[in-house]
Amino acid sequence: MSVSGSSSKVRLMAMFVLLFALFSSQSSAAQVPLLMWSSEGLPPLASPAAGHITSNDQLTAYLTSAFGSGPNTVLLFLQDKLSKEDFTLFGGVFGNKQDSAFQNLEAALQASPSSVSLPALEWSDSSVMLALLQEKLDVSPVLVDADTLSHLSINTSASNLLLINLPYCTGLEKSCKEVLHENDGIIGEVLSIMKDKGVRFTAMYTGLQPSRVIPERSMSQQAVGRSLLQAVGPTVKEPIMFNETGNPCIMLWAHSLNISLTGEWIDLATQTPSLDGSICNGSNSLLVLTYASGYILRFAMSQRLYKVSARNWFTLDSVQLQLKNLTASYIGRRNIYAPAEYSFHCQSVTSFRDTLLVPSSNNNKNTTQWKLNFFDFQIQGFGLANGTNFSYASDCAGFFTAGIWMGLITSLLMLWIFVYGMHMIMQLNTMDRFDDPKGPSISVPQTE
Amino acid sequence: MLLECMMNGHAILYTGVTVAFWTTILIVGTCYTIFDLGFRFDVAWFLTETSPFMWANLGIGLAISLSVVGAAWGIYITGSSIIGGGVKAPRIKTKNLVSIIFCEAVAIYGIIMAIVISNMAESFSGTTPETIGARNYQAGYSMFGAGLTVGFSNLFCGICVGIVGSGAALADAQNGNLFVKILIVEIFGSAIGLFGVIVAILQTSKVKMGD
Repeated sequence: MSVSGSSSKVRLMAMFVLLFALFSSQSSAAQVPLLMWSSEGLPPLASPAAGHITSNDQLTAYLTSAFGSGPNTVLLFLQDKLSKEDFTLFGGVFGNKQDSAFQNLEAALQASPSSVSLPALEWSDSSVMLALLQEKLDVSPVLVDADTLSHLSINTSASNLLLINLPYCTGLEKSCKEVLHENDGIIGEVLSIMKDKGVRFTAMYTGLQPSRVIPERSMSQQAVGRSLLQAVGPTVKEPIMFNETGNPCIMLWAHSLNISLTGEWIDLATQTPSLDGSICNGSNSLLVLTYASGYILRFAMSQRLYKVSARNWFTLDSVQLQLKNLTASYIGRRNIYAPAEYSFHCQSVTSFRDTLLVPSSNNNKNTTQWKLNFFDFQIQGFGLANGTNFSYASDCAGFFTAGIWMGLITSLLMLWIFVYGMHMIMQLNTMDRFDDPKGPSISVPQTE
Repeated sequence: MLLECMMNGHAILYTGVTVAFWTTILIVGTCYTIFDLGFRFDVAWFLTETSPFMWANLGIGLAISLSVVGAAWGIYITGSSIIGGGVKAPRIKTKNLVSIIFCEAVAIYGIIMAIVISNMAESFSGTTPETIGARNYQAGYSMFGAGLTVGFSNLFCGICVGIVGSGAALADAQNGNLFVKILIVEIFGSAIGLFGVIVAILQTSKVKMGD
């Protein structure tokens, strides 16, 4: 009982760890916007590209350049939460400027000679902005609001950091729009007070933390690059080559040379044959494959000139399969042929289905059950110059099959007849030779 | 001038299709020649691999359809003339139906031959050229040839009789004595349809399809 309890606890722990790892692997791009404007000029900053998150270092560098010379008075409007989505939702950006909740803010930005807006500033901790400003201005922040500010006297010979906290909507009493509108009112008041005081200042509007965090799902940790879809396949086996005077004279390649004597198939292509007894001369080639398992395959080819086509053709006259003293012969002369200088290729050479190798009628009765089934078969017995490559492969399958030809003939014939008939019908016209537009129209008498 | 030549939309279509067809043939033929693949163009393979049944049935179909086209064309020509002439000279109506009958005879030849030829089609059990056998090939080709023979003969016979009959009707409308003489011309015209039938019968006399 306790063992199973502890194992389930372990499983729970493992799940927590996994979830934690999962969540931590997701980088959440937390960002707050920052709006900065000044009553005098600010050093220019190139507006960041859309979606670009400005890093703290960039901000530090900019603030150094902005607050570098002389004492600065900085008004920091720090809203509890702020994200650029707030501007999108409540800023009247869809052509409804009058509904905007940031009217004073916009007016201030427009009125100031220069302003900087960073829509996405990297956010990691809520105290970063304050700490940064403290460091830059070398002064601690003074918490004010609209009332206290009007009574405050600002010493312009030293830097001042005035902090105004603005609430964010909690959704309990007022709507977000009202809260932001009120904040905007406070901003407007403060700015007008500052203007009345005649103090030169720089104002910043940002959030203590982002109001919306959209966790980014990081892609898998693998490098995202293009890779070849096709992996390098297994190496292709060499064709069987019979060499005569150093160069291949007969070549044979097959994906599999299946034979069946009693019903189960044996692939001879997996075994290594010896080529004793093979002959290769100009007009006859005989390839004899003797396997250690006792089978012997003989491919007999011949080539000669055929007068009608005036070219040399070679034929695979017969394929013989021998086991011990039983021999079966299959005639390939009729179907397996190619011009003598090319090789013959066929995807399927069988003796029982779409037969290219016809069993000879002289075969021993005991061999009637024997079957041959060669896959992806290519053979060449003549015309191998001195390379080890097959010549152009004349395939057993043509471009159009017989069925396609028959269909084409009948359908094209019927189409032609149809077009002819359509043409005739379309050129029938009503006779208008005797039309006389000025003459009396035809009258059909009602009575006989 | 080019605009006037090509004004007819049909002409543009037909020229376009013809040009496309012959261009394809030319390009394919040229490529085959250049790449020494001329041996692939094998007429003997085509004639032995296509089924004799296709040829036989094409013959039967063409026998009846071409004959009917001839008859229809002839009747259309003659009929229009008889009806037109009959408006002013109603007496020609009955006599000139003979021309229509001559045209119709052509269609009857066609259907008789189609039935005769289709009775010769039997099934056979071979699938390869060797097992099909020469006799079945001969049967298929003979039936195709006979169908073509009777079809085209009747086609032109029908048109011929039709045009002559049309002339006969109009001449008859003008002058009633002319009709009998013109009928002789029509008889000669319809004899040629009969020639086609005779030759087709001779072609299929030796046909024996089957195993």
